[in-house]
Amino acid sequence: MKRPLEIAAEELSMKTIVSLTSAFESLSSMKITQTKTRVLISNEFFKEVWTIYKQIRMDVMFNFGRSVDEVPIDKELMLLITAPGGLTGDIDQRLIRKFREHYDPEKNDIIVIGHHGALQLEQLKIKYNLYFDIPKKDYINVDPLMKEIKKYKASRVFYQDYVSLSEQVIKELDLGEVVNTMGKIADIDELDGDVITEKTYIFEPNAYSVVMHLESSILRLMLAQFIYDSRLAQLASRFKAMTAAKERSLETQQDLHVAFSRAKRALVDVRLKESLAGLKKIRAGRD
Amino acid sequence: MVMRQDASTGEMVEAPDDGSEQKAADPKKPIMSVKVYAPFQVYFEGDAYSVTAANETGPFDILPRHHNFICMLVPCNLVIKTPYEEKVVKISRALMHVKAERVVVFVDV
Repeated sequence: MKRPLEIAAEELSMKTIVSLTSAFESLSSMKITQTKTRVLISNEFFKEVWTIYKQIRMDVMFNFGRSVDEVPIDKELMLLITAPGGLTGDIDQRLIRKFREHYDPEKNDIIVIGHHGALQLEQLKIKYNLYFDIPKKDYINVDPLMKEIKKYKASRVFYQDYVSLSEQVIKELDLGEVVNTMGKIADIDELDGDVITEKTYIFEPNAYSVVMHLESSILRLMLAQFIYDSRLAQLASRFKAMTAAKERSLETQQDLHVAFSRAKRALVDVRLKESLAGLKKIRAGRD
Repeated sequence: MVMRQDASTGEMVEAPDDGSEQKAADPKKPIMSVKVYAPFQVYFEGDAYSVTAANETGPFDILPRHHNFICMLVPCNLVIKTPYEEKVVKISRALMHVKAERVVVFVDV
């Protein structure tokens, strides 16, 4: 049995862990509230832009803003959006697991966003072609990413989606398919008011330029939206992990406290027994 | 003439018109609703008399009752004249959509 002093030291270090996990939990909770408000603004923003894009789309096929003479690489690019660091629970492991279900080194190239994902791939000895760090600021410049995506025939993105504070899911989507589904040319009957056409609107400099610009913008927006969604999901996952860690450390601290009391009592009992034995001996000596 | 209540005597006295008071909106002037926002930030949301910006063709103004309009903005200062102030938002790239007395500027698109 451990000595009370040893247990007391363990309890003290466990107390520090409880405080640390509580601090991380509060921090995550605060960040979730901030990020959630921002994601709500961004969702409204994306929805409005999509509504415009849907109405002025000309081509049924989305070609990633590539010109007709550009020949894409005949491979599928896999884009993994992961957390910038650890302490995010198992969310990145789940993402990597899902990615591995689809991954074929002959047919796929990989781009990782987020340091944690890159580390995980290195541990699994999977080579990635490019790695991008997630900026801490709100504004995310996805242009370097778009440049790479445009080179490939097809692109598949793996990202984390926030459902609720307790549930975050891993999603994988074909970028071209998503644009085609989400940007399905709008049904005129479903729209309120004037439909955006050259008859009902003035386009500057001209309709074609606006459509071409939106074609690449929509991809940029979509990528940014995936990164924002992942960021929120990662924060929620961190909050979940920290709550669990706090609960576990609290339980351990309580167990240690009980163990400490027991050890202390046992020690007192031993002392008492020794004293009684001593007394008995003294009495026996007198008699 | 602007009147204010003196804090010490409680009497109504004439206050100097230093322009610090917020101007009232002119009810006769037509207004439109304007929103300027990026995915994470709303730069301006409210009523305005006019919006000034620039596109490839050059600088232009949007006034109430403007025809439906879509354009890509070039780097410029977007000036929004509201009943109370003139708000300036610096823009590097944006999409402007004007429809039914509503101007929406999607920044960073």
